[in-house]
Amino acid sequence: MKLKYIPVFAEDADAQISFYTQKLGFNPISNMFFAEGEEYTVLKADNLDVALVVGGNAFKSCIILNTDDCLKDYHLYKTAGVFFSTVPRYLPTGLAAEFLDPSGNRFILLEERNYTEI
Amino acid sequence: MDYSKTLRNNNKIYSRSSSQKQNQQYSSDFSLRFVFAGNERYDIGKRHLSIYPDSFLILNRGTQYSTDTDSDIPVQSFSISFDQQFLKDFKDCWTTADSRLVGRGGYKVKQLQEFDETIYPFTGDIRHNVYHLKHYLDNGMHDELLINEYLHHCLINYFSIYNEEIFKKAEKLHFLNPSTKIEILRRLNLAKEYLYSNYNQNISLEDLAEHSCLSVNHLLRTFKQAFNLTPHQFLIQLRLKRAQLLLKSTAYPINEVVNLIGFECPSSFIRLFKTHYKITPLKYRQTA
Repeated sequence: MKLKYIPVFAEDADAQISFYTQKLGFNPISNMFFAEGEEYTVLKADNLDVALVVGGNAFKSCIILNTDDCLKDYHLYKTAGVFFSTVPRYLPTGLAAEFLDPSGNRFILLEERNYTEI
Repeated sequence: MDYSKTLRNNNKIYSRSSSQKQNQQYSSDFSLRFVFAGNERYDIGKRHLSIYPDSFLILNRGTQYSTDTDSDIPVQSFSISFDQQFLKDFKDCWTTADSRLVGRGGYKVKQLQEFDETIYPFTGDIRHNVYHLKHYLDNGMHDELLINEYLHHCLINYFSIYNEEIFKKAEKLHFLNPSTKIEILRRLNLAKEYLYSNYNQNISLEDLAEHSCLSVNHLLRTFKQAFNLTPHQFLIQLRLKRAQLLLKSTAYPINEVVNLIGFECPSSFIRLFKTHYKITPLKYRQTA
């Protein structure tokens, strides 16, 4: 078994899909039915194993994107026009910055850091 | 990799892979000095400070120094120097944004014109950020906005280290007058940097006390108050930590490592290492 699809809430599916493709670097792969009468668009990014699916009756979600270098990706997304609700902040887990997509799904860009090594 | 970069706002970054002797020079701006491999010696006046990959040094604007190296391992040095205006803007926005750095004795970093020029531990967030920055530059990328973002975060990290290492430690000293606390801590840092730089020598308490301008009794009592360790315990911990580094990054046999870190007897080293890290040095090397 594996975790493959994450449904995200969309007020306006088209706006949502263009946000994911233009700003976050996802590509639409196909349209699929996950429940009767509910069609979703599947979006994948090259370096991710799970896909986001937009459409149907999904609830608002919180998605944690793991990165090797939070500052770099924060900067990359910011230049692409993503509006961050927090600047990168230090947590006991590492460094994290947050943004919302157009429908209000919460994204956390997280760099986990190992503080125990020397 | 060797390069030097000067950003448009006059922040500078230098990376050198082999350290050559440099004669007396002034550091024109506030700078942070790191080594990623080997060690580098800084002579500032009468003080001889060695930095290793687990520690870094700060130099204030205008400090006169010269550098040299005495290690067999090729030295990888990296330094960042901050433009005065950049530093000032950072201080302004940092100290007014919230009261993160307002110590409980009424000291504020804002009031500081100069930082305590000593060796600080190179761990935690600053380590991650500097490694990322170096990795980014090593790959030949050059986006100034991002580089400045990294530098901004290095300052955030440095300020929180400063808070941790100076203000919080000074708080722990049992003196009434805040300026006495800061002065004693400054002297204790002289002792600490002496240990950092001469960890592989035989250090007597008298040497240490002389170097820090404190009497032996005073040194012992206040060192323990500030760092929760006696100088001897601190030295042992430092040696063990550097032994870990050597075990991980070099192929020196254990006996050689024991010599390099200043222990005389391999069996006592192995025993200490085992009680400290719950693993023998050899097994540690195999798992690292």
